[in-house]
Amino acid sequence: MPLKFDLSKCTGCKLCQLACSASHYQVFNPEKARLKMIHEYNDDGIRIASKSCILCKKCEKVCPVGAITNNGRWMIVDEDKCIGCGTCVDNCPTRIIFLNNDKSTICDLCGGDPQCIEWCPKGVISLRERKGVKA
Amino acid sequence: MNSLMGKILKVNLSNGSISRNDTPTEWVELYTGQKGLGSRILMEDVNPKTDPFSPENKVVLTTSVMGGTIVSCSSKLAITTKSPLSGTITDGSVGGHTGAELKYTGYDAVDITGRAGGLSYLYITDEKVEIRDAAFLKGLGTFDVDARLKEEVGDEELKVLAIGPAGENLVPYSCISSEKYRQLGRGGIAAVMGSKNLKAIAIRGKLDVSVNDLQGLLKYSKEVTVRDEVIATDNEIYDLGTSCLVDYSQESGLLPTNNFQEGTFEEAEKINGQSFKDVRKNKKGCFSCGIACGNYVVDGAASVEGPEYESIVLGGSSLGVGNREKVIEFNSVCDDLGLDTISAGGTIAYMMEATQKGIHDFGIRFGDAEAAIEMLTKIAYKDGIGAEAAMGSKALSEKYGGEEFAIQVKGLELPGYDPRGSWSMGIAYVSAPRGGCHMSAYPIAEEAWGELDPFTFEGKGKLVADMQNSQFCKFSMGVCDFWPIDDETLGRLFELTYGGEWPADRVYKTGERVFNLQRMFNIMAGFDRTEDKLPGRFHKELLKAGPPKDIAYTKEAFDKAMDEYYAYRGWDERGRPTVEKLEELGIEPKFIEAYKTVL
Repeated sequence: MPLKFDLSKCTGCKLCQLACSASHYQVFNPEKARLKMIHEYNDDGIRIASKSCILCKKCEKVCPVGAITNNGRWMIVDEDKCIGCGTCVDNCPTRIIFLNNDKSTICDLCGGDPQCIEWCPKGVISLRERKGVKA
Repeated sequence: MNSLMGKILKVNLSNGSISRNDTPTEWVELYTGQKGLGSRILMEDVNPKTDPFSPENKVVLTTSVMGGTIVSCSSKLAITTKSPLSGTITDGSVGGHTGAELKYTGYDAVDITGRAGGLSYLYITDEKVEIRDAAFLKGLGTFDVDARLKEEVGDEELKVLAIGPAGENLVPYSCISSEKYRQLGRGGIAAVMGSKNLKAIAIRGKLDVSVNDLQGLLKYSKEVTVRDEVIATDNEIYDLGTSCLVDYSQESGLLPTNNFQEGTFEEAEKINGQSFKDVRKNKKGCFSCGIACGNYVVDGAASVEGPEYESIVLGGSSLGVGNREKVIEFNSVCDDLGLDTISAGGTIAYMMEATQKGIHDFGIRFGDAEAAIEMLTKIAYKDGIGAEAAMGSKALSEKYGGEEFAIQVKGLELPGYDPRGSWSMGIAYVSAPRGGCHMSAYPIAEEAWGELDPFTFEGKGKLVADMQNSQFCKFSMGVCDFWPIDDETLGRLFELTYGGEWPADRVYKTGERVFNLQRMFNIMAGFDRTEDKLPGRFHKELLKAGPPKDIAYTKEAFDKAMDEYYAYRGWDERGRPTVEKLEELGIEPKFIEAYKTVL
């Protein structure tokens, strides 16, 4: 199930992205996060937006080698099958998939315990429950 | 593995040389990062007597060992230089996201010296470092510089440290802006950049930051931020930001009004925390910060992130201005021109009082917000009367008189707390290495707003010195002022990120070492106790309302408190650290030898 965001509460601290990179790579690097928060000034004031996997499964459909599947709750990348071609990256409607060490990288809800939710200090992030599906 | 990036970037703008050197581990062990590391790098080869605007002066950017990690409030950036306003060592820090961005480029510090042939900007990424032409940015305000550089580089995530026209024109209290409304405000570091023909520093980093003990850090960091209510939404600093202090200062009778002539302001309610909350559009937090004290406010045609308490006072009550929209405009215009709101406001307040008293007619009066805001532009461009105002209140008063109401210490205009209402603040103001500043210690929280008697000096020398030592380590390890963290917690976080053993006494000692290193620099620059003094007003005039009403803040009592302060610090009666003290602190022998030559 996808993450959902109450953007009115977001302060742009990026603790979610730091928690994400720590969870997956044991380092701190917001560039390696599988979600992205945008919180910046523009001509109209502040632009606040989020980018994350919406579970549209388009990546699964376009993957030429069948490396991407899903379990109904998050996407799963088989790194042994992934050839790092970037087709999923190019076709992701939210532009959140990226390649890390030539492997497709997609939010996996930290295996069911999303660290972005755990670390957000302002309660911005939660799980979007879907009918019949429980976390 | 630890959270140090391991490299210091060295740039000489005169000959264009760029080199990368290993970060000396012994410097980190002694001075940790940010304030301490920046001071250490400056001391390495800047003669304390150097003209601040000479190519030999440095602009040193430093990150911290905790920067870029998940530790809350830990990603500030510090810049250290010799100040053109005070002539002391000065360092400032800025929040936002720029400190973390620099860390992700792979550098613990950037050591800039020399003077570029033409206006330039420094472009730093994890892949390359370039000194680039900035002719297209000449004369632009900081907001435009930010936008133009993002466009030029083609990256919305670029972080920019920019100087405005004030910095280009060498106004000695010009400031550096980043992300529009985040300022590295005090002591004129932007003018030093201006003297180096350095219009901006553009930063983009994508490297990993690793720590000594990841699982330990995640667990402990979460635990202590919840314990200390750093992560909370029901605290005042989140709800209102620093503007909450207006009510506190008003109630304590120490809210600077009409250039510190009074300590209460009739129109305080128009510019207090609730008033600004009424026009708040968004909250804004710095990188990795669980608090998020920032507020983006819009009132009429004016908008700003803030205004912070000091800007509300120096651009509001101290000018006799109780107009919210005008305070926001004052703040925003300062940010764009690249002027320190505190020094600009303090200088204008001096001019208003000199005019009021008939000492010299600067043509500007208390309550005239429009004239104050117009003056900012004149200052930034040194246009007409602005060329004089650009000198700052100390130099102006030396020329025209009224030194007792030039509200500054060592040339640095005072922030928003009248020391007559919280006596220790006076000790903090005169002993702060960079001049009249509230960041070295904040005893007001214990005195006027706490349990201690604000109207006695008993035990206050020790109180201030102890606070300064802890603060100086906190600001070297990189934690923001708004986390009231204790030495033990700070040390444990340092162990988990960097490693080693950092019990509370080592943390305290590290801060004391940094404080003494900065004091050494100032002594070698020619300072001693003679300059550790408050403006005459505070000793000669009584406040007439609130708790401090009619209580004398005498020079004699203050001098005695300073005697106690110096003695507690292990300094001599002239306020100079003794050689024995410096040796005890483990300051490197080569600095002590150089220091001995001026004693």
